[in-house]
Amino acid sequence: MIKTKGVFAAALVAATALTAPALAQSVLRLDEVAVGELDPAKASDYADSILMFNVYDTLLLPRQGGPGHVPHLASGWDVDGVNFTFTLREDVTFQSGNPMTAADVVYSLERMQALGQGLSYLFGGVSAEALDEMTVRFTLEEPYAPFVSSLVRLPIVDMALIEANATEDDPWAEAFLSANGAGTGAYTVTAHNPQSETVMALNESYFLPIGEAAPDEVRLRYGLEAATVRTLIAQGEHDIASQWLPPEVIGALAEDGAQLLTESGTGAFYVKLNTARAPLDDVNCRRALAHAFDYGTALQMIEIADGVSQGSPATGAIPVGMFGANGPEMVMTRDMDAARAAMEACPYPAADWNLEISWIAEVPIEERFALLMQANFAELGISSTIETLPWALFTERVTTPEGTPHISQIFFNAVTGDPDTLLYGMYHSSVPGTWQSPEYLNDPMVDAALEAGRTGATEAERSEAYAALNALLLEIAPTIYGYDRQSVFAASDRVSVPALSDPAMAFGLDGMGFTFRLMEMADG
Amino acid sequence: MSPVLRILARRLGISVIVLIGVSMLIFAIARIIPGDPARIALGPSATPEMVQALRAEMHLDEPLVAQYGHFVADLARGDLGQSLYTNRPVTTDILEFLPATLELVLVAGVLMVVLGLPLGILAARHRGRWPDHVIRVLTLLTVSAPSFVWAVILMLLFAFYLPIFPVAGRISDVYAIERVTGFLTIDTLLAGNFAAFADAVHHMILPAVALSLSGIGQAARLTRANMIETYDKPYIEMAQAYGFLPVRVARSYALKPSLIPSLTIIGLDFAAMLGNAFLVEAVFAWPGLSRYGVNVILRKDLNAIMGTVLVIAITFLIVNIIVDLLIAFLNPRIRHSTRGAS
Repeated sequence: MIKTKGVFAAALVAATALTAPALAQSVLRLDEVAVGELDPAKASDYADSILMFNVYDTLLLPRQGGPGHVPHLASGWDVDGVNFTFTLREDVTFQSGNPMTAADVVYSLERMQALGQGLSYLFGGVSAEALDEMTVRFTLEEPYAPFVSSLVRLPIVDMALIEANATEDDPWAEAFLSANGAGTGAYTVTAHNPQSETVMALNESYFLPIGEAAPDEVRLRYGLEAATVRTLIAQGEHDIASQWLPPEVIGALAEDGAQLLTESGTGAFYVKLNTARAPLDDVNCRRALAHAFDYGTALQMIEIADGVSQGSPATGAIPVGMFGANGPEMVMTRDMDAARAAMEACPYPAADWNLEISWIAEVPIEERFALLMQANFAELGISSTIETLPWALFTERVTTPEGTPHISQIFFNAVTGDPDTLLYGMYHSSVPGTWQSPEYLNDPMVDAALEAGRTGATEAERSEAYAALNALLLEIAPTIYGYDRQSVFAASDRVSVPALSDPAMAFGLDGMGFTFRLMEMADG
Repeated sequence: MSPVLRILARRLGISVIVLIGVSMLIFAIARIIPGDPARIALGPSATPEMVQALRAEMHLDEPLVAQYGHFVADLARGDLGQSLYTNRPVTTDILEFLPATLELVLVAGVLMVVLGLPLGILAARHRGRWPDHVIRVLTLLTVSAPSFVWAVILMLLFAFYLPIFPVAGRISDVYAIERVTGFLTIDTLLAGNFAAFADAVHHMILPAVALSLSGIGQAARLTRANMIETYDKPYIEMAQAYGFLPVRVARSYALKPSLIPSLTIIGLDFAAMLGNAFLVEAVFAWPGLSRYGVNVILRKDLNAIMGTVLVIAITFLIVNIIVDLLIAFLNPRIRHSTRGAS
């Protein structure tokens, strides 16, 4: 027995002593939901964007702390109607050592269009040609003012390296790019396991200066459980938690001393009303619901700590801070008198309603919003049933107006930071029946305003078009604008992320706040 | 042909039929799961045209029978298709993730045998006394909570409050071990890196214990019950009457017949762990096949679902065959009863 005890004690001591050796370099560890897609032509979600923005570069970047764009791989550009001509920097090389030229830009566009995945739809009807080694011209089939902002989603790839790894069966080297990087980015991929993590190392030959304190190595882990993240941060083994942690866990981490980083201004929480089904085919019935929704309570439900919340008050269809948004003085508030007045004008008696309020099974907070709506609408005498829909089933249900629930809840971000990519897919009558457009809105005035936003020759024209659209949408109420979304990340004090903590340094584009070269490690 | 070879041949024949049945069943079930695989794979921003193009590429626009035909033809070439979840060949994914799960499950299985059986024997030998009571209470506790609950409890106790063990992954970031077999404990030894080997074992302790606790309890309780039943048999009473030592009675007369049902259950538990390990893998960020299997089901990744289920089914069948052979080895009646059947 004494011998057994001794063995156990020795094992315990050995286990305790088995700590990993000290890290020689500064290592940043963060997590995201599975799975990280490395091929930039297929990138679409948050993890993919983080990889793309660090392994690859784009011709331009969103301006930090304000609207507009600044040159990045390009040194400048000219716009002439449907022609956009970019002059490239001459000091940029790919991680392979190959110089970046106009031919790479053309190839990047063609590869993305050929694969037809990710955000390739942004580049439909666009062609490109290399005017000379360092000049490239994009030509659009029809005017599209937000094209410049779309270019933040066109990562430039290394044509020579990709062609060297292409085969007859795989002409675009998809297999190679799903495991390797081929960009000019500040970080190179050293290991990639789509289910567990991607490891990146600082690219010492990056064309821009990188601060001394930037992380030497980054480990982007996938699919960590909330309890695991909390334990890892407590052990000092993790630096930035994903935004997908439950608010309670983020709050608990903040209480334990974690700093809270935020990213906002690109998306919102939308409660979508099916305008193709009675009683929500009537504008007054919809207005009644929009007035009855308790915006204040919804915001309280997502509060993490004093002054930090996963959302801020909405002012309309466009999030505050985005081009064309209403001012913060137009905050949405609950108004039961207006709701009752709208109900009186609604041709469907409240007693006859039985609204289907759906929530996406993978997003637990939506169940709480569904219960809130049920209680809010009951005050108008409206009965409702709550329906849980897994995402896969939801995307199928919305393909017909009859199958689409009366009320659907969606979190949505503008993929380029421009309101066109937020609103066109939601409200234009040509694109009903997708998860973005369960409203089935068919309104010629809305269509006209969306087209005006797309084709406006100047920023002033576009701004005017979106202001008009915002007012019109509030008037016809196809959607309840719940709140403007703010992503909150709990982080250790080892890391400093100005783009996620200082509004003057924010990019206004989802995921770009995770530009690792701009971060600073305390032990860097 | 020897009896054992006859059993092996018969079991292999049955296994082929079972595999064909499993493939048809899973093929059908995978297509019943709600959601369009192409839509899920391409993400929320994809246009209807992009979705339609991928559906055609995956043959999803063809009748079910034709789809199954494509699957079987590809399978015959050893091609399980492309995963929509990882954008890699399914075979690549399986080869990468299976060793991690197998390694974990093997260690958990060893723990089940080396702890479960002795505990059961000990409890039976001391029936009605305090060792029996203690073991019964402990094993009841382990079987009454699923492995993911143990995973969280162990993590809280031995990683959060008492930071003795690492909480995520298979090895510390500082070790870069060349992949040879995919089993890190073997690869670290092949690399001659003993510190890395110790680190890999250190990472494995909590998940393996969490995964095995329920099985240890089950094996112990079953062995105890079987041995107690055996102890009541007249031949045991006769051995005791001859004055044989209790250790000899237990080892030579009571244990062997009691092991047969325990082995069957341990074999089934072992194979079932391959599929059930996903929550333990999720809690400890263990990049294994179970976790992969759940992720691909949630994303309706048809090729990967088929591949994963087939691998788990094959493992199940292999383990069953091994258990059948062991039982035949231990029990001559089973060994010789197959003679007529063959």
